[in-house]
Amino acid sequence: MADVEMKPADAKSKEEVSKETKTTSPPLSPVAEIKSNAALMEKAVHNIEPRFTHRVLRSLAAIRKRLDDKVLHDAIAEVYPKDSAVKASLFAWLPNVPAEDQSMDVDSSASPKTSPTSEPVPEVEIYLRLLVLHHLLTSKSSYDKALELAQETIQRIQSLNRRSMDPIAAKVWFAVERAYELGAELSDARPLFLAAQRTASLRHDDETQASLINRLLRSYIQYSLYDQADKLISKTKFPTSAPTTQYARYHYYLGRIRAVQLNYTDAHTNLQNAIRRAPPPRTAPGFYQAVHKLCVVVELLMGDIPERSTFRHPVLEKALHGYFDIVKAVRAGSLSQFAATLQQHAAQFEADKTYSLIVRLRQNVIKTGIRRLSLSYARISLRDICVKLHLDSEEDAEYIVGKAIRDGVIEGRIVHEKGWMECGAQKSGYGPEVSEMFSRRIGYCLELHNESVKAMRYPLNAHRKELAAAEGAREREKELAKEIQEGELDDEDAMGGDF
Amino acid sequence: MSTQQLSSLYGELTRSFDARPSDLNKCGKLLAQLKVALIETGLIFPQGDHKLEDLVAARDILEIGAFWSIRTKDVPSFDRYFSQLQTFYNDFSSVLPPSKREYPLRGLNLIRLLIQNRIADFHTTLESLPLPADELALNPYIRHPVNLEQWLMEGSYSKVWNAREEAPAEEYKFFVDSLIGTIRNEIASCEETAYESLPLKDAATLLFFKSQSELLEFAKQRGWQVNLTAGTVTFAHKGEEKMEIPKEKLIANDLHYARELEQIV
Repeated sequence: MADVEMKPADAKSKEEVSKETKTTSPPLSPVAEIKSNAALMEKAVHNIEPRFTHRVLRSLAAIRKRLDDKVLHDAIAEVYPKDSAVKASLFAWLPNVPAEDQSMDVDSSASPKTSPTSEPVPEVEIYLRLLVLHHLLTSKSSYDKALELAQETIQRIQSLNRRSMDPIAAKVWFAVERAYELGAELSDARPLFLAAQRTASLRHDDETQASLINRLLRSYIQYSLYDQADKLISKTKFPTSAPTTQYARYHYYLGRIRAVQLNYTDAHTNLQNAIRRAPPPRTAPGFYQAVHKLCVVVELLMGDIPERSTFRHPVLEKALHGYFDIVKAVRAGSLSQFAATLQQHAAQFEADKTYSLIVRLRQNVIKTGIRRLSLSYARISLRDICVKLHLDSEEDAEYIVGKAIRDGVIEGRIVHEKGWMECGAQKSGYGPEVSEMFSRRIGYCLELHNESVKAMRYPLNAHRKELAAAEGAREREKELAKEIQEGELDDEDAMGGDF
Repeated sequence: MSTQQLSSLYGELTRSFDARPSDLNKCGKLLAQLKVALIETGLIFPQGDHKLEDLVAARDILEIGAFWSIRTKDVPSFDRYFSQLQTFYNDFSSVLPPSKREYPLRGLNLIRLLIQNRIADFHTTLESLPLPADELALNPYIRHPVNLEQWLMEGSYSKVWNAREEAPAEEYKFFVDSLIGTIRNEIASCEETAYESLPLKDAATLLFFKSQSELLEFAKQRGWQVNLTAGTVTFAHKGEEKMEIPKEKLIANDLHYARELEQIV
């Protein structure tokens, strides 16, 4: 799950979280955990039950933080038989563990625990590769190695071509992206992703497909290729059975693309979905912050003011500081304050890739200003508007007010001869628009209800028990009926006998 | 066609394009021939290995083609040249030396999108420029369209009008006419809702008309009532829109809710 966090800027909060998980998690040693995971995977393959694999992958984030050279070394040593080829190839990726350590290990692991005699399933190999890959990605010096390993792992997966490997493969792709991003150019990985995406969609491998679509979108957005990203979205269908975390990312990317295309309503819906589906803010603060940043800007562009409580959230408070200032400027409708804030936080907005979106807010600032004036004055001269909104000239003010009236921002009229604006009465709050708004909200609630009913899980064989119970009841009923019949006969007989 | 022929044609093209005034007819003919040559040598969508100077030549030819289309006021042709140039600008940016004409052309493309009122495309293109966002304001070729868009969106039409002569390159002026057409229509639609009537003289200033006859012609097109004796223009108002309750829709909605609620209970 934690593969959602990817913003290095939030490393601090990440550390905090990892500390927490460390203290709360049971004191099972990482080596033992990896071993038990390998056993689970074995079970998954033999019983054709992907549930176990999913369970293993769920713990990936926690394990990842506890890895080091020795842990990996021990785990590989214990999972594989003594002279296995795979073992040797895996060891090749790890730096040599100090000699005395190694000898100690070998002793302890060889004598008390019996080394397994049979080779585990290839899924385990890929899993271990994934762990090694994640470990290599933690330090800068091993990025090149990680990249090499990533390429080899992908080839290995493709040559093995096992369906039971799909869930792991989806995770591997994430690590591959990371390796390319850190060790080389992300754009170099694009042909690889595209080809794999094609294969995955042909094989109905939903998880890998979902993962790869997100990889591609990210790579396009990284290079600001919004056109290509948009085309990819229109040409592919995001698999509905994809895991929630992938969905959350997909919605985030979609939201970003729509926001760039000025389709704010769509962008807002997608970002809301992304927030709803995101992992809890404490486990993945980076993603949570990134979505909220974008969401605040989109809400402003739509003419709404984001809720204040958003900015008080412990995870968001610090990260959204600059955005809070922008919101204040827009709310006040003051162009000068807006320009100053933009200047002050330019570097942050640039890093978040929201700068150009925020620049678009300028017109919203003006509109808010005009709306405030139209609410508080029945009649105001263009000169005063010009002064209050810090516009350059009266002539501009006249055009701007004219446009605001045409766009329906305010109700009013310009009297050119006298040089003032007369504000009309406000629209009444009742009408078809209100019912439309209500029906949209009701529709949303109903859909949510239906979705959650559909998403409910039932234990697999629960209905069997009921069936058995029903069967039993029917049996009893039959018996009863039979008894009654017999009884009746008996009675009759008895009666007959009497006669 | 061989590469030699290509380069000789290319030389001829640059000569006739750089000549003052440039020979547009000849350029057109040469461009048609060169396009065929580019396709034959596989340089139009370069794949695989090509010599660096060939790629630069191909890019130059396409760039001249794009400028030529603007000078001959052929916007669809500009669109085609520009999309062919995208490959050179985006995918070969690390291989090729940067071109002087790149930003003027990108700016022109932005203006074209603006005039065709494709605002969403305008922003997408702007985002995908290989420049950090705060440097956009420093590049004169990009600043011009960005400012225009901002003013148009705000409604500061007089600034747009004043900026029409400040174009950073010769070619930008070819778009001025259509730009003025765009803002006149915008202003007119604003006036229709914002004013009841206007003196003829003021209307002419607001719309940037120099003579009354131009205004009268324009008023006729938009269907405004002109009162020559009082010297005013009166805008036809589409009376207050009647509020109508969309009965059928409401009933359909209610039935839908009832059905859904029944499912829940």
